Amino acid sequence: MEKFKSIIRDYPFIAFIIAFVILAFVPSVVFTDVYQSHLATLIFVNIVVAAGLNIVKGYCGQVTVGHVGLFAVGSYTAGTLFLYLGLGFWVTLPIAIIVTAFFGVAMGIPSFRLEGPYLALATLGGGEAIRLFIENGNFFRSTFGISDIPTPSLMGFNFDSPDRYYFISMTVMIIAVYFSFSILRSGVGRAFMSIREDPICAAAAGINVKKYKILAFILSAMFAGAAGAVYAHMPPGYIHPNNYTVIEMVTFLAMVVLGGLGHIWGGIIGAIVITIVYDLTRPLYKYQLLIFGLTIVLTILFMPKGLGGFIDRYFLEKRFKKKTGTEKT
Amino acid sequence: MLLKTKQLSKSFGGLKAMNKVDFELPKNEIRGIIGPNGSGKSTFFNLVSGIYDSDPGSYIEFDGHDITFTPPHEIASYGLSRTFQLLRLYQDMTVINNVMSGYHTRVPYKFFDAVIGRKKIWDQERAIKEEMMELLSFVGLADYAELNASELSGGQRRLLVLARAIAMKPKLLMLDEPAAGLSPVNVDNLMKIIMQLKEKYGLTLIIIEHILKVVMDTCNSVTVFDHGQKIAEGNPAQVKDDNAVIEAYLGKKMDDEEMRKALAV
Repeated sequence: MEKFKSIIRDYPFIAFIIAFVILAFVPSVVFTDVYQSHLATLIFVNIVVAAGLNIVKGYCGQVTVGHVGLFAVGSYTAGTLFLYLGLGFWVTLPIAIIVTAFFGVAMGIPSFRLEGPYLALATLGGGEAIRLFIENGNFFRSTFGISDIPTPSLMGFNFDSPDRYYFISMTVMIIAVYFSFSILRSGVGRAFMSIREDPICAAAAGINVKKYKILAFILSAMFAGAAGAVYAHMPPGYIHPNNYTVIEMVTFLAMVVLGGLGHIWGGIIGAIVITIVYDLTRPLYKYQLLIFGLTIVLTILFMPKGLGGFIDRYFLEKRFKKKTGTEKT
Repeated sequence: MLLKTKQLSKSFGGLKAMNKVDFELPKNEIRGIIGPNGSGKSTFFNLVSGIYDSDPGSYIEFDGHDITFTPPHEIASYGLSRTFQLLRLYQDMTVINNVMSGYHTRVPYKFFDAVIGRKKIWDQERAIKEEMMELLSFVGLADYAELNASELSGGQRRLLVLARAIAMKPKLLMLDEPAAGLSPVNVDNLMKIIMQLKEKYGLTLIIIEHILKVVMDTCNSVTVFDHGQKIAEGNPAQVKDDNAVIEAYLGKKMDDEEMRKALAV
């Protein structure tokens, strides 16, 4: 066991390969109908977005409310590339990531000057502007949405149903989470956190504040772009501007806050919980926004570090007691 | 000279917070900076470390680099580290992460390696962590490494800030009131740790301090500021008897005749 632990510590990607193998058997072992695969895909898409949002909001402390706009950019890059050029998933995914990264730069520039609620307003404007731009141009087929976006196929095998597309979304999710994990565990993650805590002191400690702020925005935009492309190609392959409103933004925020802002697994825990809750409360759709708003408020009030921080705290206190033999005051 | 300023000025609107200060600091010296509140001590630190931009005509040189208009993170990468009067602790980070973030300028790997998550990265990260744990146990905070910085006591916070500033292995360490708010026993303890760190890392120190005993005991030389100007400089004994200094702190020194006149009213 000890040896296994040290191997994982040296090569964390082995843990992700194990997770990949386990998740690959989930549909055939656990799931009973196709809808569950579809739900799993939604969870994976949300995990990717939430992991990205956790970088910029949880770690770097930049309050962005326009993330759903970046998600839309990813989706619509993939959608329009298919619509006008007939390109498939394997081409649209990388292009969507790159295009969204540029939008991330634009979204991040206000953060040089603005902080907290003011930055939130600016990014909210950015996100809404993107949605309105999409909605009001016939170029993006806003009235009916873009439909029949094809599912990817690999070596003759077409991932054309939810239980097959599950593998695509899972792979993207695992890779994205692995990247977010290694970025945040390294010195880059620490630089992000220092900027969140105190930008002036971070600058005096040798951290290039502007560079790391924009880096956080670019990285999280790339995550959102990847998620958007996966979402666009998800069967039945239909996207519409109505799927990228402030309501979606609130759910993304709820994921990150509930999971734990600035916790390395925060976005992931939150995405799983919130997506499932979202699905279970579908009959109560009138109250969904209320539920998620309440979730954010209650979490911040009673569990400021979210579920992730709560669990961490429990183990930390156990260890501290063991080490010093005393209760922490 | 490790640090040199010429005609260093800074004005906020009409207020001259720093007025044409020439300052020189040789290597391995411990320089104390004293002066009444609002005399420009912290402004001097902020100008040198690049937090404020100095006025045109100023010149600052550090270790052979012209740093007059250099952004703070580059100045830090030349090996200048500082602490803040209000600590500016990273409250929501663990103690060990606080110290490790001070290591930033020395992190050896590239961003791309970190994204891929190569084994090299984890080895280096572990080496950094070990080195920083050593530093933490040196200042006596090793037991608290996993706690949040906000959970430390006032004295421990001072030590943590010190450790964080040392983590980058600076050539020059500027301490802004390191002992403010500490009890006399803790002050002695802190100064002892600072002196040990100086020996260990071969630091040059600038200390702003209001506790004059600390300044007189530990510093090789003292600079006195008042109203943004340098009014005296020299070894502690000289400065203590300097008329301008006494005037700045206590008011004008009078001889017997003047005193009699003043009291006669």
